[in-house]
Amino acid sequence: MACPFLSYRSAAADHEFDEPRAFCGAVEEFVQPMRADVCNDRYDFDHATHCEIYREHASGGGGVDGDAEASEGGDP
Amino acid sequence: MTYAEYLSGEPVIVTAALTGGVHGKETTPHLPETPEEIGRAAAAAEAAGAAVVHLHARRENGERAFSAGRFQAIDEAVRRHADDVIVQHSTGGTGAPLSERRKPLGTDPPPEMASLDMGPLNRYDHLTSENTRGTVDALYDEMQDRGIKPELEVFNDGHRNEVHGLLDRRDLADPVYATLIFGPGTLTRPTPRNFLAAVEGLPDGALFNTLGFGRHQLPFGTLGVLLGGHVRVGLEDNVYYRRGELAESSAQLVERIVAVAERLGREVATPAQAREILGL
Repeated sequence: MACPFLSYRSAAADHEFDEPRAFCGAVEEFVQPMRADVCNDRYDFDHATHCEIYREHASGGGGVDGDAEASEGGDP
Repeated sequence: MTYAEYLSGEPVIVTAALTGGVHGKETTPHLPETPEEIGRAAAAAEAAGAAVVHLHARRENGERAFSAGRFQAIDEAVRRHADDVIVQHSTGGTGAPLSERRKPLGTDPPPEMASLDMGPLNRYDHLTSENTRGTVDALYDEMQDRGIKPELEVFNDGHRNEVHGLLDRRDLADPVYATLIFGPGTLTRPTPRNFLAAVEGLPDGALFNTLGFGRHQLPFGTLGVLLGGHVRVGLEDNVYYRRGELAESSAQLVERIVAVAERLGREVATPAQAREILGL
């Protein structure tokens, strides 16, 4: 089951896309494509296990920044 | 491959990593995602001096795709727009099962090259891209069956041991080609001393490619040129041209490292020369 914070939007803030993209309602940002697989629980992903944003917000902690902070480079 | 190769004038192979599998247009609007965008970006990178394009596939909404069909569409767009550039598919795929990661090897014709991640890599706070030895061997064997040259991706010093281990388990064709990767997190810490150690620790006769993430792309690319290695640049690995200024394209980043190489007296390899150097 997909993350409850996930929605698909075509526009938000200063972004606008032709195709709706994964948007995280917890941090109010479009998410990176790799993270979108986590949001959707694709493959072996489970958002409740693998997403620090969900874990923080589901526990009421909040305060986890989005992908601009979390990225550690590419998937070469 | 050593400084002697620099002095001897061995051409430098420039690889352009156009898209990647992590960020998308939410990070930079200049990232190519559709087959048509990737095909045009490949042509621009080739015109700027890249001999190899490293490719990932995306769905229409920018999310990751692994299917042979999606890679096929990208390859066809690359061949339509570019001249003679070497196509290298990624087999990376954090969280994706081996069955998905094999798929980019299944195009017709197969790619001339494909990446082979040599071990695990942490991502975000709760994810690891596993890359077990079983996965490495399975992907290598499929590349071997299809005549695809592996590009061994060395995220850190431990992965250099894994290169030696793979050579113990499998009979790789010469020359072994390894990409040394520098940056944050699980990657080798980006210092010149670590770069020298990484080069010295490779198997005898191995060629190396240089990948510095983010702001390390230019200085490490320059070091790679001087140490007789090859260089990878592009928006997959670095979205900025300089601090606070997004790069307009991978071609722009290729142009910059080509200018550095030429200023340092190093010829830039054409695709034909790159095929000869890599034994394709």
